[in-house]
Amino acid sequence: MTQYHTINSRAPRIDAPDKASGKAQFIDDLNMSDQLHGAILQSPLAHARIVKIDTSRARKLPGVKAVVTAEDAGLVQYGVSPARYDETLFCHDKVRYIGDEIAAVAAVDRETALAAVSLIDVEYEELPLLLSVEEAMKEGAPLIHEDYPGNICAEVHQEFGDVEAALAECDIVRTDTFMNKMQNCAFLEPQGCIGHYDHRGYLTLYSSTQTPHYVQRTVAMTLKMPIGKVRVVKPYVGGGFGAKASANAMEMVACLLSMKTGKPVKMVFTREQVFLQARGRHKFVHTLTTGAKKDGTVVALKHNCILEGGAYASFGIATVYYAGSLLGGPYKLQHMKYDAYRVYTNKPACGAQRGHGGVIARAAWEQQLDVIAEELGMDPVEFRFKNMMNNGDTSCNDLYMSSFGMRECVEAVRDKSGWERKRGTLPRGKGIGMACGFFVSGAGFPIYRSETFHCTATVKLSEDGGAAHLYTASAEIGQGSDTTFAMITAEALGVPLNAVKVSSGDTDFGVDLGAYSSRQTLMTGFAVKHAAEDAKRQVLEVLADKLRISVSDIDVKDGTVIFKGPGITFRTIRNRYRKEHRGWTDMPDDAPLSFAEAARLAFIVKGTVIGQGEYRPRWLGGKFKGAAVGTSPAYGCSAQVVELRVDMETGQITIDNMTDAHDCGFAINRTSVEGQMQGSLLMGLGEALFEEVKFDQKGRMLNPNFGEYKIPTALDMPNVTPIIVESNEPYGPYGAKEVGEGAIMPTIPAILNALYDATGIRFHELPLTPERVYKAIKEKQCEAKAERGRK
Amino acid sequence: MLIPRFEYHKPSTLKEACEIKGKFKGKAQLLAGGTDIIPNMKKRIILPDSLISLNGISELKSNSVSGKNRCARIGACATVSSLIRGKFLLPYSALLTGLESLGSPLIRNMATIGGNLATARPAADLSPSLIAYKGKAILCSVAGKREVSLDDFFLGPGKTILNDDEILAEIILDELPACTGSGYIKLGTRKALEISLVNVAAVIALEKPDGVIAGARIVMGAVGPIPLRATTAENLLMGEKPSDGLFAEAGKAAAEDSRPIDDFRGSAEYRRDMVRVITVRALQKALHDIR
Repeated sequence: MTQYHTINSRAPRIDAPDKASGKAQFIDDLNMSDQLHGAILQSPLAHARIVKIDTSRARKLPGVKAVVTAEDAGLVQYGVSPARYDETLFCHDKVRYIGDEIAAVAAVDRETALAAVSLIDVEYEELPLLLSVEEAMKEGAPLIHEDYPGNICAEVHQEFGDVEAALAECDIVRTDTFMNKMQNCAFLEPQGCIGHYDHRGYLTLYSSTQTPHYVQRTVAMTLKMPIGKVRVVKPYVGGGFGAKASANAMEMVACLLSMKTGKPVKMVFTREQVFLQARGRHKFVHTLTTGAKKDGTVVALKHNCILEGGAYASFGIATVYYAGSLLGGPYKLQHMKYDAYRVYTNKPACGAQRGHGGVIARAAWEQQLDVIAEELGMDPVEFRFKNMMNNGDTSCNDLYMSSFGMRECVEAVRDKSGWERKRGTLPRGKGIGMACGFFVSGAGFPIYRSETFHCTATVKLSEDGGAAHLYTASAEIGQGSDTTFAMITAEALGVPLNAVKVSSGDTDFGVDLGAYSSRQTLMTGFAVKHAAEDAKRQVLEVLADKLRISVSDIDVKDGTVIFKGPGITFRTIRNRYRKEHRGWTDMPDDAPLSFAEAARLAFIVKGTVIGQGEYRPRWLGGKFKGAAVGTSPAYGCSAQVVELRVDMETGQITIDNMTDAHDCGFAINRTSVEGQMQGSLLMGLGEALFEEVKFDQKGRMLNPNFGEYKIPTALDMPNVTPIIVESNEPYGPYGAKEVGEGAIMPTIPAILNALYDATGIRFHELPLTPERVYKAIKEKQCEAKAERGRK
Repeated sequence: MLIPRFEYHKPSTLKEACEIKGKFKGKAQLLAGGTDIIPNMKKRIILPDSLISLNGISELKSNSVSGKNRCARIGACATVSSLIRGKFLLPYSALLTGLESLGSPLIRNMATIGGNLATARPAADLSPSLIAYKGKAILCSVAGKREVSLDDFFLGPGKTILNDDEILAEIILDELPACTGSGYIKLGTRKALEISLVNVAAVIALEKPDGVIAGARIVMGAVGPIPLRATTAENLLMGEKPSDGLFAEAGKAAAEDSRPIDDFRGSAEYRRDMVRVITVRALQKALHDIR
């Protein structure tokens, strides 16, 4: 086994001291000396025609520097996927949800800006509200977007194999319908930004974003600027989970207002605005028909899905594909048919959220598989062993598992949780359940059609030779990517971790598609490794040349040059270095040759040493429509066992234990991998038990705050046993692949399956609030009573 | 959202505070811990012209156990966490449970017992037990003081009997008689930072150890416009020996006594059923608290 110096360890996060001491700068901490403050007028109505906008009173308010509407912004359409650009910077003809942007103001302070916004008079003509998929799909329903008949934002029809014929051959066929509710990403740091248009016509946007690259492109497009004059800089970010993975209107508004005023313009969302911006998990209704053979072989899946999308497409066109394609694994399934519709309604837009598109489908299916296993008299673990894919398998929809530790994951959670001892032996009210999942390790294609590199990385060695500086446009959003890439740089270069500096999250540093689709460790990591290796090669070539030996006879480990052969003398190099550094306290004498000395030599010989790396996936996926969604250079997989208690009188669920195994290929930082697992489980727990964005009959959100939108507290979170499985991914740097999203996949279904074990009831609607659980228990008791009465 | 502009007053005596409050009539609001009023001002639900901070008034923060009947006197501005730390409320275990289940540690460090009462939220964590203990409130105005029973303190959501120029200064709890125990149960969706879906406080007193029930008070929160007494349930308990069967009957009676509504947090039907369940549990806790 390879011995590593830095990676695969539990190195402390490089940003930890700054974050722990409050020194790390987030967007709210940034201020410019002459900045203005912006505010946006958002629609108070969910569906209305705009008859007239009168900004004259706002313009007259002292302290107001600019007021902008669609007239100033133009009507360039934007969105996430070019296939569905359906937003304009401001509404001009109608508003489509409560929160839709109508106008914006820049003023000397926030108070004045908000006051000015309240002075903008808008005359509306109210339109019928479409607040559910049923209303929106009804024959003759008014259209939310003129270009989308039937209010269908996107639809998918795919078939692999022959599902009807296969189902006819099955011994058991089961159909279930399952649904969740609209969710919010619920990150701690609200979106915020500063737009700064300078005197030379360059625009810099500082923003709390997951994807500086996409934001740069969208801002340039909507504001009609050359892309090279737009720079996006990401300070530290307090979480994103998907909602910050595309440009938001505020970012463009701040830039537009800066262009109008010539001053930096700052804006930060309130929590209510975070909820209105939304772009979190859709409401899905999945109807799954699964067929299996008596021996437990799962043969076919017929899958229908309706997604409630809200007022705009956002990531939705990808979501609707993911919701189907991600059931292609982790089981060997020969026949799969998928028909789905994403529907517009007059609510905030839904988008991507951790486990994009796959989470609710996974919950529905893993529960149904447990039902089938039970009907066949098979243990859920055995049932999954029977069907799971292995290394080298390709799914019916062309997803190739280049590494796949699924079996190891299931075995690990079975053994660590005491599954065999506990299963079937727990008293009523207590339950144990398991589930599996898998997820992409980076999307196979950018969101726009392009042959672009997905990332570039640059490692510049300091001219003195003593440090390496990594430049990457990737996004550290709290997940620890800066540390991961520092570790990869250190390892690949052969220097200690503290000799590596990281600058990231700036479009000036190169191209990186950003932190979404669990891509950075594999993709950016790959580019970083190559950049560091490139820098190392350049140093070693100079050194080899000077010493008249072969490059293959030298290596670098932990900052020291290692000569493979005997008797190599580097006295002249050392003497030169010592003369240069006369008076220095860390002068090497008898020590082995340091990498710093070699790197200094390389600089003197050839100038600044800059290593470059880039990454682009190999061609992936099939030829069918939508084949691009779900493809990835690699797939992570996971298994989980949940133990819980149900208060049978109140319906309250307490999660007692979670045992989770995840195949991340290879852990660059073991603590970070476990952190992602813990975070995923917490998020899955919240979605399973509590989370739901609620609306009234006018389309107003009832709970746009953390008092009423309930994410788990520390007291709701049980102890977690995280188990890292390493399958050594051939296409990943050092064998690494994702953990950020795949880990959430088994959580909800494992809870559902444990809940069934505890109560004997299958739940087909989330969240599992005490009231929903209580009602089901009561209903079952009534049924049992009636049953006894009949006998 | 920004807090709208307001005038800020910080008197150093209760008398001065009463004067200012009287002067502004209904247009001034009191600021104690601020955990309720500040969010509501940000949301523009409450828009006072003036805020009168009570945080400079030391007499509102003092607690004591005194008098010949050893009654507990709690300053209205005592914070929730200070009351948890101060051991003098240990006998009042229903109140202590309420204090411990209020909000989160950060909120408990700010929120005050007086604020929890005076804001008169139907789901408040402290009012049910304080009523169940037959707590009294001292209300101060420029004209002087009056003592009222907390039974009569609440008029509706956000409404109390406090006059425009009156300030809630003190809460008084009599020493619990022998053979008395209490319990409080809060039902919510998650385990902290939670608004009660239903809560119930119960206090029962036995005639003698293992004797019949000589006193019973059950107060239900979040199932009516104000905390409600479950009087049918209380009457049913009186003179009876505690038993599981008796408590089950009391639970059913309490459910009948409750007047819950449907809202986005939960249905009336669920709340009524939960009153039945948690009344039984609160009574069991109270009984256990005696032994």
